Amino acid sequence: MPKKNKEQLKMNNLTKGDLNKIFWRNTLGLQLGWNYPRMQGLGYAYTVMPALKRLYKNKKDKMKQALKLEMEFFNTTPQMSHLIVGADIALQDELGMNDDNEKAIAGLKTGLMGPFAGVGDTVFVAIYNAIIYSITAYLCMSGQALGLLIPVIGCAVITWIRWKFFNIGLSQGKKLAFAFSDKMNLLTEGASVLGLTVVGGMIPALINYKIDLTYKVGKVTMSVQGMLDKIMPALVPLAIALFSYWILGKKHMNSTRLIFVLIGLGMILGNLQPICNWIGSLF
Amino acid sequence: MKVSAIAIIVLSLYVGLGQLDALSLKTGIYSPVFGGAVAGLVLGDLKTGLIVGATLQLATLGVATYGGATVPDFLSGAVMGTAYAIISGRGAAYGIGLAIPIGLLLTQMDILARLANTYFQNHATREAEKGNYEAVERNNLYGIIPWVLSRAIPVFIGLTFGAAVVKAINNWIPQWLMNGLKTAGIILPAMGIAILMRYLPLKRYYPYFILGFALMAYFAKQFSLLGLALIGFALAAIYVMNRRKDHQKANSVETKQSTSQPKHIENIQNPNDAIEANRVDEEEVEFDA
Repeated sequence: MPKKNKEQLKMNNLTKGDLNKIFWRNTLGLQLGWNYPRMQGLGYAYTVMPALKRLYKNKKDKMKQALKLEMEFFNTTPQMSHLIVGADIALQDELGMNDDNEKAIAGLKTGLMGPFAGVGDTVFVAIYNAIIYSITAYLCMSGQALGLLIPVIGCAVITWIRWKFFNIGLSQGKKLAFAFSDKMNLLTEGASVLGLTVVGGMIPALINYKIDLTYKVGKVTMSVQGMLDKIMPALVPLAIALFSYWILGKKHMNSTRLIFVLIGLGMILGNLQPICNWIGSLF
Repeated sequence: MKVSAIAIIVLSLYVGLGQLDALSLKTGIYSPVFGGAVAGLVLGDLKTGLIVGATLQLATLGVATYGGATVPDFLSGAVMGTAYAIISGRGAAYGIGLAIPIGLLLTQMDILARLANTYFQNHATREAEKGNYEAVERNNLYGIIPWVLSRAIPVFIGLTFGAAVVKAINNWIPQWLMNGLKTAGIILPAMGIAILMRYLPLKRYYPYFILGFALMAYFAKQFSLLGLALIGFALAAIYVMNRRKDHQKANSVETKQSTSQPKHIENIQNPNDAIEANRVDEEEVEFDA
């Protein structure tokens, strides 16, 4: 990434105030109008509106053309959208609105939103949430309300990254795309390594199920959990996690359906002792 | 115990605000762990709230809105579950058992909100054709109304009739069912973990997964998830450094003709192909309801 743009970039027509407004609209308002036909399309138009107003306020035809373009179907990870918004308005600031430029921006938006969502959902949603919120919940579980600060701090960092993304988008304009995607790819790979290490650790740390089952051999009471622990700690949690992983790969299975499967499993595991007693009474 | 009118209003507004947070900054107040804590604080039992919220958070770790998919509303679940636990005086486990079915039940409210926004979209589309940009801006902001109401109304109703609901639950739900729901709450983190295992390239990087599991399983007393995250970060950094070295070697072998040309928009018609090929696993999970 180029380092030359330390300060705010010089734009032709857009003021610093416009850029700030666009950044905050992007952060706060992109998904307010989320709907099935256009998804973030309405929010995107809302986001870039300060630029459109500055550029085409008194040119009704250009404004109509721009509005139509900016309200097209759009959907990507919100944290990544700043790159696209930045590049979009930098282009319009330089070239204005005409048929060629409209095509170029439409290509930029639709071409980048898919791959950016792929990278962004992995890094900013899956891995970020898993790490930040598992640590938060871990602390809160032991009654430490201060753990709630962790996501807030995380949010501050992410907002800073969003601001950087916006500026990269502005400065790179049309050059964006591949060069940046390549870098992001390496980052995603690294984040995957981090993510998988933590996910592996989550199994023993977060699934705190212990088999509540004892049986008597002569006068000695044996605990099933104690015996399993001798084989390997967290054996049952690992089995439950691998089972969930396996079943999630089945056709027609999604996360909501998996909840019902696990509730069913919970019904059995939560009443293991009565079930076993009942089975024992049959013989 | 009855919930005071002020508490009901505060908590109803809170879940509405939480939804807006989930759509924008993501400060964390939208998360179930926050929800439990806030409900606990408002109703005077922070500890119960933290436990209900944290358990629910763990149960739903991997559950997130990918690409606008609808997921169960576990924030409202955490708030109501905590409230019922405190009203009934039966402890956190009771609240956890109730929070999960409540969250599942409220899934449809999210779909309703997204559908309602379609009305504003259509309105904005019509106005845009006339060049009326102010109407476009307004209609995006109107989206706040369905989002907030879809969360606030169920919580408002649920808490207003809280005492009656708890009584009905106590009379009608047998002990074995509550035991089962409680255990489900304990094993549900497996869902989030499984989603992440599917989402991340497990097959390519499984050694890291085993390493994380073994460290945590055998050294649980010395280790915390934060410590593990640091180790994971170090491993990731080492990995990236090595990859970069390989890249540089490969680049220096190649001729440098193609590197200096800036890429223009014409060249990026469909970067999907290049990136999708590199992306995570081929198998993906369906996240929609």
